[in-house]
Amino acid sequence: MAKRILITDDALFMRVTLKNILTQNGFEVVGEASNGREAVELYERLKPDVVFMDITMPEMDGLAALKAIRAKDPNAYVVMCTAMGQKQIVLEAIQHGAKDFIVKPFQPERIVEAVQKAA
Amino acid sequence: MKAEYINPFVVSAVEVFQMVLGTTPQRGQLSARKGIFTSQQCNIVLGVTGQLEGVIIYGMSIFTADKIASQMLGTPIRTFDELAASAIAELGNMISGNALTKLSGAGYRCNLSPPSIIRGTSVRISTLEIPTLVVPLVTEWGELEINVGLQERAK
Repeated sequence: MAKRILITDDALFMRVTLKNILTQNGFEVVGEASNGREAVELYERLKPDVVFMDITMPEMDGLAALKAIRAKDPNAYVVMCTAMGQKQIVLEAIQHGAKDFIVKPFQPERIVEAVQKAA
Repeated sequence: MKAEYINPFVVSAVEVFQMVLGTTPQRGQLSARKGIFTSQQCNIVLGVTGQLEGVIIYGMSIFTADKIASQMLGTPIRTFDELAASAIAELGNMISGNALTKLSGAGYRCNLSPPSIIRGTSVRISTLEIPTLVVPLVTEWGELEINVGLQERAK
């Protein structure tokens, strides 16, 4: 069965780009969130296999959303996808249970690889 | 304002242009600007907080913005709609995020605000008391002007 994916990014352009890459590679995008708060709500409703999570977003940032999602579901598979590649941000994300960390700009193969790694 | 603050933005801009747009822009002459200036036709504005504080503004013509957005979307754009604006905003976000990663390597830990797009040439933008350094990048679609107004947070 195709992996079900939730995309979170405040930039419409990035949501469209990620969705194109994922659907072209046989994955199902079940939801799109434009900030962390929406991502937490959609995660509970949709129970996706993989979440792509931007960090710099209005209302609730991606690190706060990661923590909220992992608090409710310790098995949540969250992949951070952000332009913020600073070491302490990567470390904070990994410490709070992020499974992968992709720095923008990325090659499409990197997105596909991140989903394939999810069990 | 130290020149070391702007160099990571110029280097990141060249890298992002190469990776996302497949072109290598040429770096223009560094200049300084006082804390207020008039906007270009299309401007990406991002705030920086943390050990460095201030604002980053990428200015360009509508022609240049259209060409860059078309290249990012893989199709010529007809109107500068939400999708095109978000592509341009994301370009600013990627350049700035990568620049902050470089600055963190030099010991400055900073955060970035989500980008805003400001269109209209008569907008006067004030960076308050922070002087701004400017480096134009010459691309095959016109000029992208990088304005960096950063200062160390008062301790």
